[in-house]
Amino acid sequence: MIDAARLKILTESAKYDVSCSSSGSARRNKGGLGDAAPAGICHSFTPDGRCVSLLKILQSNRCAYNCLYCPNRAEADVPRAAATPDEICELVVAFYKRNYIEGLFLSSAVDGSPDHTMEQMLETVIKLRKVYNFHGYIHLKGIPHADRLLASRAAQYVDRMSFNVEFPSEKSLRLLAPQKNKDSVLLPIRRLAEEKKMDGGKKGKGRKLFLPAGQTTQMIVGASPETDGQILRLSEALYRKFSLKRVYYSAYVPVVRHSLLPEKCTGLLREHRLYQADWLLRFYGFTAGELAPPGGNLPEEYDPKCAWALRNMQLFPVEVNTAPLEMLLRVPGIGAMGAYRIVKARKFASLRFEDLARMRVVLKRAKHFITCGGKFYGAERFSAVRTLLALESREETYEQLSFFSTPEAAHSALTGQL
Amino acid sequence: MNIYLTDGTEGCFYTAAFSACTDRGCIVTSARTFQLPLGAQTVEVVEDEEKRERVRRKLRALDPPCLREIGLILRRGCQTREMTALAYLRRIVKAGGPVRDRLSDPAVLEATTELRKVTGEAHNFTGFLRFMEGANGVYYGPFAPDNDILELILPHFLKRFAVQPFVIHDTARRKAALYNGKDCILTRTEEKVSVALSDYEDSFQQLWKEYYNSVNIAQRPHERQMRGYMPVRYWKYMPEKQ
Repeated sequence: MIDAARLKILTESAKYDVSCSSSGSARRNKGGLGDAAPAGICHSFTPDGRCVSLLKILQSNRCAYNCLYCPNRAEADVPRAAATPDEICELVVAFYKRNYIEGLFLSSAVDGSPDHTMEQMLETVIKLRKVYNFHGYIHLKGIPHADRLLASRAAQYVDRMSFNVEFPSEKSLRLLAPQKNKDSVLLPIRRLAEEKKMDGGKKGKGRKLFLPAGQTTQMIVGASPETDGQILRLSEALYRKFSLKRVYYSAYVPVVRHSLLPEKCTGLLREHRLYQADWLLRFYGFTAGELAPPGGNLPEEYDPKCAWALRNMQLFPVEVNTAPLEMLLRVPGIGAMGAYRIVKARKFASLRFEDLARMRVVLKRAKHFITCGGKFYGAERFSAVRTLLALESREETYEQLSFFSTPEAAHSALTGQL
Repeated sequence: MNIYLTDGTEGCFYTAAFSACTDRGCIVTSARTFQLPLGAQTVEVVEDEEKRERVRRKLRALDPPCLREIGLILRRGCQTREMTALAYLRRIVKAGGPVRDRLSDPAVLEATTELRKVTGEAHNFTGFLRFMEGANGVYYGPFAPDNDILELILPHFLKRFAVQPFVIHDTARRKAALYNGKDCILTRTEEKVSVALSDYEDSFQQLWKEYYNSVNIAQRPHERQMRGYMPVRYWKYMPEKQ
């Protein structure tokens, strides 16, 4: 059994992987332990507000690569550990039986060579499925530069795979992750997407599962100079070309100090705005071009949909009782659920303003963009709308810079150690 | 004004609904701590097969899925659940067909909201329930949900842990589901039962706590969000929150 010290090392290195979703797969229990829930299940929540759904663990954190931003890079002086396939399998099964987790999220540092690492991970996954008879959810992180056959073999056993794009542009990738390049991250994604498409053509009972929950990817925001506009265009292309399920954004947290990297955390607000825009791309029919110009960022004080509406005031107000669904989805304050509810309910009776409030539409924002039975309830002047909708707590978004802003500087100022 | 006192079961509710549906201003409740209004007449409802079946037959003819919905609303842990269900039932009878999309109707909206609270909690507990390995190899999972959801989460665990004997114990309602690897039965229990735990249990709980603490990113605290998603009242049986 794995000991607490190694578990700590291997988890702390894995925790910056953002993805923890367990949705999208309907794998059935075939006389063993576990199954997958298509909607995904969160099993716990940590004090940083993130959910714990999968057991996130590295196979090993001994790394041959030297990506500057990574706490496990080759040059770093951190405690190193590795786990054997059996140790990981035992831990997964024990946690799963106690309903602590929904499955396994297995990642690894490049221990030795990419192929060797991928083989180790593949062994863990196959053992878990075949020897331990485990039918729960498995998310496998792909290792760049590993052999393509290893990836497609793994895809037959796991539910979801992800290769990290890491940075929104090739230039930053070359600068900050010298051993990785555009091909090493995008090619495997493309190959798996093509294989999955081919596999989808086959029908019938004997068909084996091939990545039932698809692929995702992750990129770091704020460590490199790319704008939100560029990031969203990249995400849009990834969704379109490779049918990715999700693109995860992680606001940069400085765990390593380096002259090429920023000293400060990227604001969580920026990450939040990117996720909001991402949702608009996937569920609300927006395009990246509508949300942010190629060289510009998303506005901080308004959510992306609100900002779009304020730029396109000529389209508003829309009448709730007659507007098409596509237009309702574009009204700030009306979410996807709200829009579908309105469309259902207005068949039977014309909706009044009070009804909308009860149907969980956020009227604080929506009232400036809709009419209800021909009546407008919002503010008269456009400038008033702008002021009313801007983020209230402005103090939170800006911070007075000081000499001791970074935690390391503050620490060294206190202890006198450089 | 009539007050119909039911025993909390679905059958008894339908029996009461047989007369309550057309009885204006009446109250149907299963609460035992109910404050009687002035001039109220109480009617103790005893389940009657004929009345129950007539109501169910009528509802099935008007809108088949509504029986499931009413069943779910009656699992709510609040005192007004019978009234919510009755208002919804009356609305269906009045409209002579399905009404679930008429969300601008207060009775329908109320019913939908209550129903989502029940199914939502059931979904949450498929994740928040924690099992402990007993000395005899049976996994024991206690929980105290707001609503009566034991039967709702049971199919999920029966599928998932098909070969693992387990007990799910609703300590608030003093009932439990026992599964031995083949058959499952529901039974009434005491509020507290003592379970002898296996030797590994403590070390796995320690490992889980270790994992829970390591996976947290301390630089990004957001405790409010954690409490929003995982309310404090559920923490009682979660090892990572002890």
